[in-house]
Amino acid sequence: MEFDYLATVLLSSLASASILLIATIGLAVVFGLMGVINLAHGEFLMIGAYTALTATQAGVPFLLSIPIAVAVTMAIGAVIEILVINRLYGRIFDTMLATWGISIAFYQLAVLIFGTVTPGIGMPQYSIKIGDYNLAGYSLLMIFVAALMGSFVYLLMTRTVYGMKARASIQEPAMARAIGIESSRVNTMTFSLGCGLAGFAGAILLPIVPATPSMGFAFVIKAFLTVVVAGPVTLTGSAIAAIGLGGGASITASFLTSVAGDVFFFLITAVLLWLFPLGITAGWRRKM
Amino acid sequence: MKTRAIKIGLLASVCLVTGVQAEVKIGAIYDLTGGLNIYGIQQNNALKLAVDNINSNGGLLGEQIQVVGYDAQSELSKYTQYVNTAILRDKIDALFAGLTSSSREAIRPIVRKANIPYFYASLYEGGACDKQTFVTGTSASQQLSVLIEWGIRKYGPKIYIMAPDYNFGTISAHWVHEFANQSGGEVVGEDFLALTVTDYAPTIQKIQAAKPDFVVALPVGANQTGFLEQFAAAGLKEKIGVVSTNYGSGNQQVVVSPAAGKELIASQGYFQQVENPANAKFVEMWQAAYGDDTPIVSGAVDTWNAVNLWAQAVSQAGTTDADEVIKALESGMTFDSPTGPVQLSPGSHHLIQTIFVAEGDDNHGFKIVDEFVGIKPTYEDQKCDLIENPDLAKHFTPDQN
Repeated sequence: MEFDYLATVLLSSLASASILLIATIGLAVVFGLMGVINLAHGEFLMIGAYTALTATQAGVPFLLSIPIAVAVTMAIGAVIEILVINRLYGRIFDTMLATWGISIAFYQLAVLIFGTVTPGIGMPQYSIKIGDYNLAGYSLLMIFVAALMGSFVYLLMTRTVYGMKARASIQEPAMARAIGIESSRVNTMTFSLGCGLAGFAGAILLPIVPATPSMGFAFVIKAFLTVVVAGPVTLTGSAIAAIGLGGGASITASFLTSVAGDVFFFLITAVLLWLFPLGITAGWRRKM
Repeated sequence: MKTRAIKIGLLASVCLVTGVQAEVKIGAIYDLTGGLNIYGIQQNNALKLAVDNINSNGGLLGEQIQVVGYDAQSELSKYTQYVNTAILRDKIDALFAGLTSSSREAIRPIVRKANIPYFYASLYEGGACDKQTFVTGTSASQQLSVLIEWGIRKYGPKIYIMAPDYNFGTISAHWVHEFANQSGGEVVGEDFLALTVTDYAPTIQKIQAAKPDFVVALPVGANQTGFLEQFAAAGLKEKIGVVSTNYGSGNQQVVVSPAAGKELIASQGYFQQVENPANAKFVEMWQAAYGDDTPIVSGAVDTWNAVNLWAQAVSQAGTTDADEVIKALESGMTFDSPTGPVQLSPGSHHLIQTIFVAEGDDNHGFKIVDEFVGIKPTYEDQKCDLIENPDLAKHFTPDQN
């Protein structure tokens, strides 16, 4: 195996893992901080993608369309939290069922609004060359985006007043309320933040994954498994799980077949959950 | 059958007495919602257009055709459920349904038992063989026989296959191997992908390592169009050609960005850009009914051809009786379709039709660069002769490896 092939495989596998992490963080925040499994996560990603797409079609530069996508998904997330999720805290299966229903409704809404096919915006035609191999520049950029996104959420949750309130509202809701934290509002904010992160992911990944009504399905299974493998220390755990599972699957796919890559992902997930039923970070003493 | 004929006779006389017009009834089951509606909505629109066209020209056997429609919701179980309902309750005379091969395979045993002519209108992997089943789409071997030779002539002999990991992909890959051998080409690598893959970096590296002259890409569904974006963004399009038998069948050229879609080669039985009088008329009717936002896909024209062939057979037979209609359909029936003249091959129930090779332009459209008239469904004709063996009910697949 030549050195240049090995280098491109490693770099692009890291990029694959980063894409998985970008798509997962929003889910991780909502699950980790609220104990809510948001099965409509993929659809928020889709909404983010369509918002960014619509904005760019209206003449907004792509970079500016990303904050617009975040704002729109956060707003929709907040409404969903107030109308639905709010009433279902602590009932994990009911929230799963409700968010699943929401995902189906959003999917069909997208079909009705945008039709089944909409023009994509394509990736910047910029690539770098390592020996004989080319790598798309935009995919590599995702490594930095994932790192930035991870640090942003980590700092937000550990270094800001909101972050402390958010963790307090979920871990000790009664105590949090007793000391004057309006926990229901904080929960709305956290759910909305998780949806905003999904919207960000949909927008930033738009050049790589074209916006289609069904795009959420492709992400939600692997994102969900990543969060489950991660366990209670969600953010660090998700980063490790994404790199291990996503990167490992990509390396396997590069040397064997794409099917082997998927088999790797699901097999390792099963083995890890067998060894660590509560997730790989179950015994850790970290906050995020 | 006899009791059925009596029933129809009774029904007709009752209707005459009451003054209500008896109707010829057909079933239409397509995926109007869910992930497959990219195809299903257009198939259904084409069916309605064809029926309206026949009805406004005096109907069939002097009666209006009535359509009983169901939405299969992109779910396999709905197909079996609605096919049974359409046959048992609605008492349809012919069935038009299905997109995926799995849906067709679910439908075939039911229509065989009920003896209802069934039309499957989609490009597919080939090999379906059944007295009641008629296929108006192109089969994989039909398309690839033309495309692989064309690709080798244009780009060179080394081929890489990127295909979805189920029978459409694996059977198509088999044909790529076979036609590559026949035309002096060589398959230098292949990768089969799950439909949920969104990140194609590993495939793209393997393609670069194998150094092919062109890639046969058979992306299915929206996710797999991401492959074309990522392939283009890695800067590989200048060095390596891309050809496909299904790119465009779900209007992927609209989704794919101009940079990635330009110069992609697609081969199918129909593109909206086809130039002939029948197509000009068809496109005009279509756009009057449904607007011109979305280009017409091959599945729509396959459905149009199916309805018209069936109507022709009913007129020829002078009845909607299944055995008579099937006999008429097996009489070497021809039709002047938007794709050019087509002929129904009596033995295999597949269409002899034109295969077009088109090149993507930089404005989400196609330009037709080559056409091959009268391409036979050779493999199906060879394996499946329903005149000789009317009891054949099989799905032939070429031996793997």
